[in-house]
Amino acid sequence: MSTDVASPTAAKDSSSLSSGNEPVISIRNLSKDYRDFWGRPKVKALKSLTMEVRKGEVFGLLGPNGSGKTTTMKLLLGLLFPTEGEISILGKPATDVSKNERIGYLPEESYLYRFLNAEETLDFYGRLFRLPADVRKQRTNELLELVKVSHARKRQLKEYSKGMTRRIGLAQALINDPELILLDEPTSGLDPLGNRDMKDLILKLKEQGKTIVMCSHLLADVQDVCDRIAILYGGELKVMGRVDELVKEQDATQIRSSKLSEAAAKEVLDVLKKHGVSDVQIDQPTSSLEDLFLRTVQESRERPGRRISV
Amino acid sequence: MDFLPDPFPLLSAFLQWLAVIAVIFSSVLLITFTSNLVSNGAAGAALYGQSLGQSLVEIFSTSVSRCYALAKLTFTEAIRRKALFVFVVFAVLFMFAGWFLSDPDQSAKYAKDAVKIHVTFILNVLTWLTMIVMLLLACIGIPEDIRLRSIHTVVTKPARRFEIVLSRILGYVGVGTVLLGIMSVTSLVWIYRQVPVSARSELTARQPIWGQLSFLDRTGNKTDAGINVGDIWAYRSYIEGATKSRAIWRFENVTPAMLTTMTDDDGKTYEALRLESRIEAFRSHKGNMDRTTRFQYIILNPERNLEVTAATLEIGDEFSGRTDGIRRTLIAETKDNESKTVDLINDLVAKDGSLTIAVACTDPGQYLGMARSDLFIRLPDAPFAVTFFKAILGIWLFMVLTVTLGVTASTFVKGPFAIMMTFTFLTVSITAREFIRDLLSGKLKGGGAFESAYRIPTYMNDTTDLPSNPGTQLIKWVDWVMNGFLWLIQQILPNVSYFNMTGYVANGFDVDNWNTLLPAVLVTIGYFIPCVLIGYYCLRSRELEAK
Repeated sequence: MSTDVASPTAAKDSSSLSSGNEPVISIRNLSKDYRDFWGRPKVKALKSLTMEVRKGEVFGLLGPNGSGKTTTMKLLLGLLFPTEGEISILGKPATDVSKNERIGYLPEESYLYRFLNAEETLDFYGRLFRLPADVRKQRTNELLELVKVSHARKRQLKEYSKGMTRRIGLAQALINDPELILLDEPTSGLDPLGNRDMKDLILKLKEQGKTIVMCSHLLADVQDVCDRIAILYGGELKVMGRVDELVKEQDATQIRSSKLSEAAAKEVLDVLKKHGVSDVQIDQPTSSLEDLFLRTVQESRERPGRRISV
Repeated sequence: MDFLPDPFPLLSAFLQWLAVIAVIFSSVLLITFTSNLVSNGAAGAALYGQSLGQSLVEIFSTSVSRCYALAKLTFTEAIRRKALFVFVVFAVLFMFAGWFLSDPDQSAKYAKDAVKIHVTFILNVLTWLTMIVMLLLACIGIPEDIRLRSIHTVVTKPARRFEIVLSRILGYVGVGTVLLGIMSVTSLVWIYRQVPVSARSELTARQPIWGQLSFLDRTGNKTDAGINVGDIWAYRSYIEGATKSRAIWRFENVTPAMLTTMTDDDGKTYEALRLESRIEAFRSHKGNMDRTTRFQYIILNPERNLEVTAATLEIGDEFSGRTDGIRRTLIAETKDNESKTVDLINDLVAKDGSLTIAVACTDPGQYLGMARSDLFIRLPDAPFAVTFFKAILGIWLFMVLTVTLGVTASTFVKGPFAIMMTFTFLTVSITAREFIRDLLSGKLKGGGAFESAYRIPTYMNDTTDLPSNPGTQLIKWVDWVMNGFLWLIQQILPNVSYFNMTGYVANGFDVDNWNTLLPAVLVTIGYFIPCVLIGYYCLRSRELEAK
């Protein structure tokens, strides 16, 4: 696999996706130190991060625990203050509250008010955007349908499962129909169906022209939905670029066809050997476990009662 | 009790408030500006200006809609977190209070004090229950929001942190209002039902007109105070019987509207100025101790050289309260021993609207003790519910102050510390404010903390001067520094005595609007404004991470 390994100060961006697009988020030399009670630096959570997110793209922030993903997200939202560096988000500083009119944020855990029910939750967040009552009601209904919790709209969130809370968390992030959506671990806690729904929704939002920044540990999810990614490690930017380019194996070729007979496969092998190709593998492709699971659930819904005998 | 008849110094209080606020905010601005310069160099000034500008924009772009949403959230949170459990405590107290407060024998003495006992109990219960519940709620709201990070979903919306602080306060005030409203209405009904029938006439709201008191000595000369009969409590001054000694009250702005229709023993009605008095009789062996002590109300008009003895009355017990009507039409004796009819308002009220009433004791060898609040003109009474709900308003204002302080503290420390800090602040205000004032004014003898610590082990009483040596000089200097610190503390401690109106209600008086209720309102506003700004500043300048 060929990648651009970035220096901490400036990552080489291999993207060509939207090179002409205006940046929605612009980060310059961003550093964050967590300090102890006496103000002494305790942890350097982020070191001179420089990157941009452009309009209309789905951008993934990856990295192991403690790599600085969530810190970056919180700095963008003004929940934390940078030790050094500059952030411009939708053309405004991160501390400017007015930028929040155009932003939706799904936190890592769904830090919602557990004593409210789903309807009250969305109504409350809608009020913070000063949406008129009829718009709030309409958005609430739409979003509850969208995230598939309208059947539990009157139940307090403390009675919700983690997956349902996550869905309401997403709904509150979309209440203002934002231009920029920040999703912190959007698929964590979701079952495979919910996971697929979430990914479908992210792609749908992208189609609508929204810009999405997500951070996640679940690499498959990121690969499924993100246009570009940045990989952080130890607070430093290590890799940044288009997903399809970053994961492409430059020194290998893949040929895909319908199922070959044994004779045909042998002939193909002979041709490849004739051309001096070594290390050839011919086998049947596998689908992902996620696809298998979703197919099984779909079939179970269509034909309830059917079971296998072992 | 002291009914605070002195007028509230509105202008000087306002100027002092402005001065304290100006000093506090100038200091904060100076410190933050300097720290910005130190941490960011020359760019710090620009950053500081930008941040200050943003703060002003945030404050002035406060949205009613968002505040309503946040206040409603606070209200719902408190109710769903079982704040209403306070009613259970309230109900239990009420169920069993009757056992301890009522007298099965229904004695006359009990009937006399029944209103005072019940009203004092109720208002104290309401005050403490409300304060405890609201203190806990107000101090844990924001820290819990930060700990659970639910505040992340709010501050990442267009909600300003100023709105968060303001709405938290308003939400908790809403909760407190509901709690207090329900409990106070229940309490009023309970009082009406619990007070014995014989004492229910005491459930009233006297509306007094207070006068200024001065004294004449036994030779008729003006004096600062009357005689001290040896009572340690120097609240009352005494006049000597059958001398020229007088206690003289001067009432301002007396008008015919103050007259009341009264009924005499024959059932006939007459127009009169109703006076209520609580005069203490001090009997000596020089006089006849076995009989009642007589005294006179004498109405004076020095401008017209009129002196009318309005009534000769008696005090049976050592101390008794009584209500008397001074008829509008009186008979005056001229110096030529002629009688003529005079009108109380037209002839005896001076041109400046003042009425002078002297009290004289007519029994030789006996003494009458009086303080300023022992004689007043009693206007038609207001319903008891009026004064009761004014006292409730006092508790409500105290609750607003508590919530304001609690929410402010919770913007920079965690919940338990905020509770301790607010509780300490209020406790010091209640218990030590007067003490600090007396200490700083020199009324308290014995010096400051270190001087006292020196005097106690050396068995030196507080009126003896300290020996002059370097050690005592050092003690005095340290005390001087300490007193400076206490002076600063005194400037920010609220005068919470304004909020306690129990004495008025328990003694059957209407709460004074201008001299008690207004100061309580102003004190609350005076703390509300800077506290909201301080809370906003603290919340804005902190990272909202639960670390």
